[in-house]
Amino acid sequence: MTEETNDSRRNFLYLAAGGLGGVAAAATIVPFIGSMFPAADTLAASQTEFDVTTVGPGQQVVILWQGTPVFVVNRTPNLLKEVLGHDQMLKDKDSKAIPEVSQPWMNDKNRAYRSIKPEYLVSSAVCTHLGCIPGFKPTAGRKDWGDSVPADWPGGWHCPCHGSKYDISGRVINGSPAPFNLHALPYKYKNDSVVVIG
Amino acid sequence: MLNTIMKTKLFAWVDRRTGAEAIIKSQLTEYPAPKNLNYMWNFGSLALLVLILQILSGIFLTMYYKPSAEFTYGSYTVAFDSVERIMRDVNFGWLIRYMHVVGASLFFAVVYMHIGRGLYYGSYKEPRELLWIIGVIILLIMQGAAFFGYLLPWGQMSFWGATVITNLFGALPVIGEYLQQLLRGGFSVGDPTLNRFFSLHYLFPLLLVAIVGGHIHALHVVHSNNPEGIDLTKDDEKIMFHPYYTVKDAFGVAVFLLIYCYFVFFNPHAWGLFLEVDNYVPANRLSTPAHIAPVWYLTPWYTILRSFPDKLMGVVAMGGSLAILFALPFLDRSKVRSARYRPVFKQMVILFFIDVIILGYIGHSPVSPMLKLIGQFATAYYFAFFFLLLVVPKFEKTKPVPEGI
Repeated sequence: MTEETNDSRRNFLYLAAGGLGGVAAAATIVPFIGSMFPAADTLAASQTEFDVTTVGPGQQVVILWQGTPVFVVNRTPNLLKEVLGHDQMLKDKDSKAIPEVSQPWMNDKNRAYRSIKPEYLVSSAVCTHLGCIPGFKPTAGRKDWGDSVPADWPGGWHCPCHGSKYDISGRVINGSPAPFNLHALPYKYKNDSVVVIG
Repeated sequence: MLNTIMKTKLFAWVDRRTGAEAIIKSQLTEYPAPKNLNYMWNFGSLALLVLILQILSGIFLTMYYKPSAEFTYGSYTVAFDSVERIMRDVNFGWLIRYMHVVGASLFFAVVYMHIGRGLYYGSYKEPRELLWIIGVIILLIMQGAAFFGYLLPWGQMSFWGATVITNLFGALPVIGEYLQQLLRGGFSVGDPTLNRFFSLHYLFPLLLVAIVGGHIHALHVVHSNNPEGIDLTKDDEKIMFHPYYTVKDAFGVAVFLLIYCYFVFFNPHAWGLFLEVDNYVPANRLSTPAHIAPVWYLTPWYTILRSFPDKLMGVVAMGGSLAILFALPFLDRSKVRSARYRPVFKQMVILFFIDVIILGYIGHSPVSPMLKLIGQFATAYYFAFFFLLLVVPKFEKTKPVPEGI
């Protein structure tokens, strides 16, 4: 056997063995990293059911879905009126900027109300700026809130962390540091009063 | 590949600041090793591999394990439930836990082979006494880590094993009671015990890493022994560690991983040797399981404990059976290292290996009068082996040792 053939044979075996060893080592990483993703029982708890009729008129209730807060608001006819008429103040009035602010259940009729039944808003409560929960300031104008809100306040949420403002449909108002509307949630009505989120 | 890396500019930058090249060359690529090492010399690198696997799997288990003896439903506890959650709900949790369980047993299997190799070929003798002593410290820390870890699932075997072993310390005069309370953090094994055992179970492997570093450093100062047990003086008796032994170790790793994967994937309980069925029953302080024994790797010492009719004597003998390993380099004064050239020692050491296996078998079995008697003889030989080494060199006719290899 010449020196040369010996070398090429060795190089092949070296690469083959080393390559397979590398593949095996890489495959070993899969279960370890995989184990850090949510466990089966965590995933099983990924749905939340809530009876929206337990929320009084004009009231807000904050519930949890997958560990994050969710606003459920019973919008009275007065609050529903606040949804319209200030489109020029909104960054994204049709909730189309990113996929997360829209849901398949949204259509042209309910797009401004951002809810399946207009009177019950179910929306993420996480400010799209840095994740705080905005404060509920539902009534329009400064009557109830003083100068903490602008004179043309349409009613909605005001984030205590960095002053982001959302209207009563959770759409972000111009001049807020938050870039997007509150995220819309994948929910449906199980019966007339119970929603299932997730 | 290493050579290519060492030629890069980045490596040169690091090298100027750390002397990395000199370290790599002297400790790995150009580290001279005896050319006649047999496969018994593979177990050191395997032990290092299992240590890494244990630490890796342990870190990931800790992300889900909860050390609490608080009750949940029925007689279940937070700790027990969290282990079951790892088995059932956590992605690949079963795999990582079985890796850890099988790894613990194979760690001891590999280390016992490694120690047996050292005994047979006289690797504990001058100038490697300290290397041996560091190794014994590693063994003790491993046994401690294994014992602490066994409590964590908080099953019946966990609880009663910990109860028995902490009671051992209670047998010591004067300090016993205090030592026992110190270990348990209470009057019996309970929630505080579980928490401190978990803490120590995480600490001990970190100690192991440091001490294994010392073990390898000590080895690289005095260099490897070899099957002939002679000092190698000529350059042509040695070969470079890399590629010759890196490749041989890699082959050993491949064989080891086959066995490891067989147990992890097909037989994680290993017929009750690695994991006992009783440990899937939640800890119950009102009822002891019918048959209780430690995991196989601790059974030889357990038999020594049971062989004495006196509580204190048993505890002292068990401690002594481990402590005597420290004295081994100073008990055996024969100038010839390898059993190949010591006919009497060869028979003694092979009998010693069989003796330890018998001790292990008896410790794993339920007590019977016959087994107890055999256990007592086996215990007697265990100690006799060490003390006979004092006198054997005086009459043993060793065979002529080769000049070189």
